[in-house]
Amino acid sequence: MDISEVDAWLDANEIEWVRTEGVTIDGVIIGKHLHRSKFIGALPNGSAISEIAYGMDLAGSPYFSWWPNWRRDALGDFLQRPDLSTLRRLRPGVATVLVDHCALDGAPLPVCPRALLQSVLERIAEHGYGVTAAFEIEGVLYSESVEVARKTGYRNLTPISHPSPIGYSNYNSHHQVAFMDALLPRLADLEIAVEGYHDEAAPGQFEINLIPANALQAADAVLRAKQTMREVAFDIGCSITFMAKPNDAYGNGLHVHHSLRSLDDGSPVFLDADGAMSNLMRNYLAGIVSTMRAATSVMAPTVNSYRRFVGWAAAPTTPTWGEDNKSTGVRVLTRSPNSTRIEHRVASGDANPYLVLATVLAGGLVGLEQEPELPPPLTVAGWGLPPSWPHLPTTIMDAADLLSADDALTKQLGSEFVEHWTQSRRWEWLMFNTTGGDATSASVTDWELSRSFELG
Amino acid sequence: MGAMQILVEHDPTPIVRTMATTLRRAATAPSLNSKLARMRGVATIKSSTDPQSVTLTFDRGTVHVHRGVAVNTDVVIELDLATLNDPTPPKPKITGAARHPMFALALSKVLDPPRGTWAEAADTFWNFASSGSGMPTGMRVVNTDTGDSHQLGDADGGVELHGSAHWLVAVLSGNAILGEEILAGHLNFVGALQHVAVLTGRSIEYTLNGGY
Repeated sequence: MDISEVDAWLDANEIEWVRTEGVTIDGVIIGKHLHRSKFIGALPNGSAISEIAYGMDLAGSPYFSWWPNWRRDALGDFLQRPDLSTLRRLRPGVATVLVDHCALDGAPLPVCPRALLQSVLERIAEHGYGVTAAFEIEGVLYSESVEVARKTGYRNLTPISHPSPIGYSNYNSHHQVAFMDALLPRLADLEIAVEGYHDEAAPGQFEINLIPANALQAADAVLRAKQTMREVAFDIGCSITFMAKPNDAYGNGLHVHHSLRSLDDGSPVFLDADGAMSNLMRNYLAGIVSTMRAATSVMAPTVNSYRRFVGWAAAPTTPTWGEDNKSTGVRVLTRSPNSTRIEHRVASGDANPYLVLATVLAGGLVGLEQEPELPPPLTVAGWGLPPSWPHLPTTIMDAADLLSADDALTKQLGSEFVEHWTQSRRWEWLMFNTTGGDATSASVTDWELSRSFELG
Repeated sequence: MGAMQILVEHDPTPIVRTMATTLRRAATAPSLNSKLARMRGVATIKSSTDPQSVTLTFDRGTVHVHRGVAVNTDVVIELDLATLNDPTPPKPKITGAARHPMFALALSKVLDPPRGTWAEAADTFWNFASSGSGMPTGMRVVNTDTGDSHQLGDADGGVELHGSAHWLVAVLSGNAILGEEILAGHLNFVGALQHVAVLTGRSIEYTLNGGY
C-alpha cells in the first residue's frame, strides 16, 4: 500500500484508531494506539516510542550494566516505521500495523528483530534466493482466567484437556473448541492462514501450523498469532502460555520449516534433478549445523528455555541433522522437490520468531559463504548420544558464551546485535539468580512463571 | 605466600563467583593466605531471603566452591544478602560453630578480607574497570563524610561519585553493586546514563569475578 492510499483505506474500513505492533528482542509486542490523523501525519517513518522499550528486561527492570552505541542518552525516542503492507482491520474502528524500529534519521536499529530478519533476507537475495518458511506454534491452555492464574502464581492451573500425555487426541482437541472457534476467524481477519491444528503431548497443549509464506510474512504471522491467542484466551476467560517449560510435562517448541527458491523463476533449489541433495543445500545445511550450538542462545532465550533440553522428551539435545529424524536439531525432509525443506527444531515457544528465523538463515549464509563440511546425517536417536558427543548448551550463560565466540554467525547477525543480545542474556542469568530464582531447582520456579507465563 | 587453589563448579552462579572472588582476594593477604592453607572443613552460606546458597569445601590449600547446601557441611551461615553491607547489618544465624570453633573463626576472617581505605579501594577498582568499553575517562570520588575528593583518571572525565566512606568502600572494594547503591540512595552519581550503566556493569564484573 502506498502512503497516498492509506487515508482511503482507513475510510473504507471505517478506522479511527491504528494500533502499532513492534517487537523487542525478548519477543514482547509493543506499540501505541494512534488516532488516524496522528498515524497518517507521522508517515513514512512513524511516530515515536521511548528507547527504554529496548532497554528493559521482561520484568521491566532497566538494563543497568552496559550501554550500546545505538542507545540514546537521557532516554530519547525511536521511531516506529509502519510496514503499510501489514495494515489490517483489527476490530470495528481499529486497525493494526506492524512496524520496524528505527532511529530518528530512519536507519533501522541494529537490534530491531524485524529489521534484522529483513537484512539477513537481503543478503540471501544477493545470492539469488528467496526464502519460504512456516512455523509450528505450540502453547498450553488452562481453564482458569489469566486473573486467577496471576493470583495463584501460575501454579495449580487446570489444563484444558485430559491430563495424560497422548498427543493428537481428538477428545482433547474437542476441549479446545471454544478457543479455536474464537481464534480462527480473528486470524483469518488478519490474513493469517492456518494449515491445521491438533492436540499435543502435554496436558492442555496444542499445536497450530501456519501455511508457508515468504520468510518475513511467516515471522509476522507468528507474532500476530501469538498476540491474538493471548487476546482470545483473555476474552473467553482462560489462560495461555508459550513458555518453554511451564511444568514438568513436554515443553513448548517453535519449530520452523524453510526452503530456498530461485529468485529468477521461483523454483526450489534444494534437490538436484536426480532427487539428491544439491551441493547448495549441503553447504547451506552445513552452515546451519556448524552454527547450531551458538544459535541456541537465540533459540532458547530464557533460563526456563533450557529446561526443555532434556533427553527423550521431544526437544533436541544435540547439534545434529537427520533425514526425517525428529530427535535431531535439524530434520531434513526430501519427499519431493517442491516440499523439500529444513525443519529447525531447537527454538522454544518463548523465542522471538524474527530472531529465530534470522539466526537460522544466518547459519545458512555461513554455509553458502564458507562451505563447511556437512557431517553425516544422524540415523539413530539423538537423545541417547553419550556426553563425549557435542551437545547443545544447557545453560543460558554457556549459550551466550558460545554465541559471543562464534565470529561467523556474529558477522551475519551483526556485532551490535550479538553484543546486545549476549549482554541481555547474561543479565537474565543475573536476575534469575539474584532476584528469587533457584539455581538448584530441577523444576520450573515461581520466578520463571512470574517472568514468562504471560509474556514468554 | 602459598599458592591457593580456588576451584569453582561449571557455570557458577553469582554467589559462587562472588565467594570465589572473595577467597581469592583473601589469598592475597599474607595472614589470610596462611589461614586458608591450613583450613579444613565444609561451610555453607545461604541467603535468608531467597534461594541463593553456596558451599565452600576447604582442604588445606584447595577450596571447592559450588552452589547449594552440602549434606556434610560443618558450619552454616544464614544471612540477608541485601543488608550485608549495611553499616550495622543484622547478625547472621550461624550453626555448627560450637562444634567447629577454630574453623568457624578462620572462616569469618577469610570471608572478610581487608578492604582498604575508600581512596585505596577506588584506585584498585579503577585499575580494574577503566579499560572497559564505554567507560568515562575519569571519575572524581567524593567522600561526603569529610569533603575530601580523589581523582581517578582524567580530571575532565565528567563523572562524579559521592558518598560516605562506608558506602564508597562497599562498592569500590567489590562488596556491593554501584547501580544498586545509587538506586538505594546510598551513593550519588553525577554523569550520563551511559556512564552509570557501564560503571555498574564493571562493578558487577568486579564483584563476581574481580579480574581473576
